[in-house]
Amino acid sequence: MIRVGDTMIPMARTVAFTLDGQPASAPEGELLVHAAARHGVFIPTLCHDDKLEPYGGCRMCVVGVEGSPRPLPACATRVAEGMVVSTDSSVPQYQRTLTEMLLAEHLNPDPGGRPNELVDLAEELAAEAPFILPDAKREPYDDRNRFMGYDPDACILCNRCVRYTQEVMQCSALSLEGRGPHARIVPTHGYSWLDTECELCGGCLSACPTGAIYEKFEEGTERPERTLEKVKSTCTFCGVGCQIDLNVDPETQRIVKVTSEPHYVSNEGNLCVKGRFAFNFVHHPDRLTEPLVRGEDGELHPTTWEHAFRVAAEGLLRVKEEHGPQAIGVLSSARLTMEENFLIQKLARTALGTNSVHSCEAT
Amino acid sequence: MGPLTPELSDAVADHMNIRRGEVHEVVSFYSFLRVPVDAVRVCIGPVCDCLGAKDVLAREQEQANGVPVLGVECLGHCDLAPVLLRGDTVEPEVTYRANDGPSTGLAGWDETLADYEARGGFEVLRDLPAPERIVEELKASGLTGYGGAGFPTGIKWEAVAREPHPRYVVVNADEGEPGTIKDRYVMERRPYLMLEGMLIAMRFAGAEHGFVYLREEYGTARARLTQAIDELRQAGHLDGVAVEMVVGAGAYICGEETAMLESMEGRRGMPRLKPPFPSEVGYLGRPTLINNVETLAHIPAILRTGGEAWPHVRLWSVSGAVREPGCYEAPVDVTLRRLIDEHAGGATEEIGAIVPGGAASGILPPAALDAPLTRDALREWDVGAGSAGVQVFPKSYSPLRLLAETMRFFAEESCQKCTPCRIGNRGMHHLLQELERGRVAMSREQAEEWLDAMAATSICGLGQGAPFPMRAAFRYWPELFAPLGEPSRMA
Ligand SMILES: Cc1cc2nc3c(=O)[nH]c(=O)nc-3n(C[C@H](O)[C@H](O)[C@H](O)COP(=O)(O)O)c2cc1C
Ligand code: SF4
Ligand code: SF4
Ligand code: SF4
Ligand code: SF4
Ligand code: FES
Repeated sequence: MIRVGDTMIPMARTVAFTLDGQPASAPEGELLVHAAARHGVFIPTLCHDDKLEPYGGCRMCVVGVEGSPRPLPACATRVAEGMVVSTDSSVPQYQRTLTEMLLAEHLNPDPGGRPNELVDLAEELAAEAPFILPDAKREPYDDRNRFMGYDPDACILCNRCVRYTQEVMQCSALSLEGRGPHARIVPTHGYSWLDTECELCGGCLSACPTGAIYEKFEEGTERPERTLEKVKSTCTFCGVGCQIDLNVDPETQRIVKVTSEPHYVSNEGNLCVKGRFAFNFVHHPDRLTEPLVRGEDGELHPTTWEHAFRVAAEGLLRVKEEHGPQAIGVLSSARLTMEENFLIQKLARTALGTNSVHSCEAT
Repeated sequence: MGPLTPELSDAVADHMNIRRGEVHEVVSFYSFLRVPVDAVRVCIGPVCDCLGAKDVLAREQEQANGVPVLGVECLGHCDLAPVLLRGDTVEPEVTYRANDGPSTGLAGWDETLADYEARGGFEVLRDLPAPERIVEELKASGLTGYGGAGFPTGIKWEAVAREPHPRYVVVNADEGEPGTIKDRYVMERRPYLMLEGMLIAMRFAGAEHGFVYLREEYGTARARLTQAIDELRQAGHLDGVAVEMVVGAGAYICGEETAMLESMEGRRGMPRLKPPFPSEVGYLGRPTLINNVETLAHIPAILRTGGEAWPHVRLWSVSGAVREPGCYEAPVDVTLRRLIDEHAGGATEEIGAIVPGGAASGILPPAALDAPLTRDALREWDVGAGSAGVQVFPKSYSPLRLLAETMRFFAEESCQKCTPCRIGNRGMHHLLQELERGRVAMSREQAEEWLDAMAATSICGLGQGAPFPMRAAFRYWPELFAPLGEPSRMA
């Protein structure tokens, strides 16, 4: 089954179409932008996001389709039998002009040295703004939350963030406000994210192609972000086990931010506030990195796992002997998986003999 | 209506159990949801601008006394220019100048349903031909949509009839095209005529539900239609069907049919990607027949006389530097000179420029006064027929100012969704403003590239049509653009 708009249609048959004069094939109904990519034809996009419904706003991806009076957006047009599609110089090209336009709408399209698809495109197409529009300046926006910053000057109004909040996260905490030259993206009414339905999952941030929404703790990091090394990992905060990329600064060997990709299983690139933003414990000086046991002197001392386990087991057995097994309760962490939780209750019931076992995941 | 404060907006969201952000998005899209009901709205559309709107605005602001005073785009009363709305009341007092054309008979005024029936009203609906015959007659009449896009009505009706039930009918009564007053004339003077056309469309399409999307500023039309619909209901003309009015909230783009559908469904009025067209996927995803008020008003006459015999006419809104601005029924191939001299009482001053059919149609020089105003003939002049909103500008009104005001209008009213329209129109406005100050913001060649991108890649007719006036001005007033350098090709 594949999804077309709101309806599921049975697995599509393969259809033949023509791409830049060459025969091509694709499952019927596949988006042109994907079908072309599989045939080695890269069509630039800005407002498209595979997690979201086709939007067709930026117009960067328009291609010639025989029989259509005007070019069509490859991100929102589906392959049909016999379609004749042209992306090459046989049809007029608009990407450079559209990029010039987008540049003209910014005082500074690249304020933070963050990854920025508009700046990349401008470089690739050698596009420059002929002027900066007199009304280009957008109201600066300062949010008191500690995780996400927003720089309206870098925003290209692709609406990906807002669509993410509506279609994926369903928080609708961001709005595309106003119209015409007055349009802007803001948390509802221009309040702080903290005063909206936002849960600070950072999903809208991850959808932003220009870094207009960005990780706040990156502010002041002068290093342009694109040199970060990605280390694939699994979020340890809960049993969902979201797949993440720890983005590591190769010089300092410190994690700078956490990202995730749409093709990662179990979370499809989506994260919650913990997985996305709560990684600072990794480098925290108070972080426990080895077992500690309290000595006679009342202080904690490093030791081996074997010794630590023995001390814990002896302590539990002593309580059991002196007060009976019902004096012991077991509380397991929400960070454990289903299997680990199973083992915990087994430990509680059979080894310790208590039925007082609970996981904080249940609350 | 209005103003919807953040607190009220949130209360609406909570009451409807939808997210506050989504309500805020919608509220912020519409101009009049943030304005107190007693505000003074001064029209700054091109005709009013030419006839002194800026002075009116300044005067009103001076005497405001705490009441908000704002400049707004064309209020659809260009025959009275300069005009303003004080609350719901139009100033100056509304008067009409119309002729008794064979198709719409606008010289008449139907006060009640009885008046309309005395003039032959509802005869056609009572004895409606089969759907196939209706399509044939519409095709034979040559009727094309009078909302602006000029799509052949017979073909549109035929297409809807091929689609599955349930189907809807929507009347586009959002008349916002600068210089266009004709739909208001129809709705205020002969509301029953439009409703008969609408009921014919509904019967034809087998639609049980019909909607009239009316612009908020047309208070009199709203009252007239409300009364007329009540009368029709009492007379049994609405048995088995429902006719509902949906009132806009101040957004020109909602006249674009798919933006209108979005607006009717309670969202921001942002046009949809086409295809699919509303005849296939329209209101609530169902096949929907959308026609302009005037288009529907001609249908009883077409079915009465037969398509062949119907005099191919339309309603021309004539305003600006003429003695008797008004709304006149005349053949589609009438010339500007005949409209101005024979209907509108002649020009008041030497004519400098004429806009033939609303903002996006283009701008013509006086040399075009004798060209027939058909779509085909106008194509040679690089302009469109549009909504037949003929605006006559005197020589004393600079074409550069007219052009700048037009581009400002497009920029303000752009829904913002697509790059070429949102930024292109502002870019052109900037270019013209700089030019007025003797500065060059962009070369002629690059400006043409921008216009090409706007025309080709914009999602809807607003961005696609906006280059028309610019290109026409390049052709007819080249000296104004000499500082920008050589054109990239023969204009
Ligand atoms: C920007 C824009 C504004 C429009 N405004 C109106 C309008 O105010 N009234 C109208 O009838 N059609 C308007 N149209 C045309 C409609 O999209 C549509 O073509 C028309 O309602 C169809 O009816 P018709 O075939 O009877 O003309 C507008 C189109 C565009 C692109
Ligand atoms: S961070 Fe997450 S919850 Fe907050 S607005 Fe963005 S998508 Fe919504
Ligand atoms: S903030 Fe980013 S994602 Fe949102 S509209 Fe602007 S550029 Fe697009
Ligand atoms: S804590 Fe959040 S990010 Fe981490 S695995 Fe659970 S849901 Fe995923
Ligand atoms: S052309 Fe203009 S009005 Fe139409 S969809 Fe694009 S931005 Fe909106
Ligand atoms: S990526 Fe296709 S229109 Fe934006």
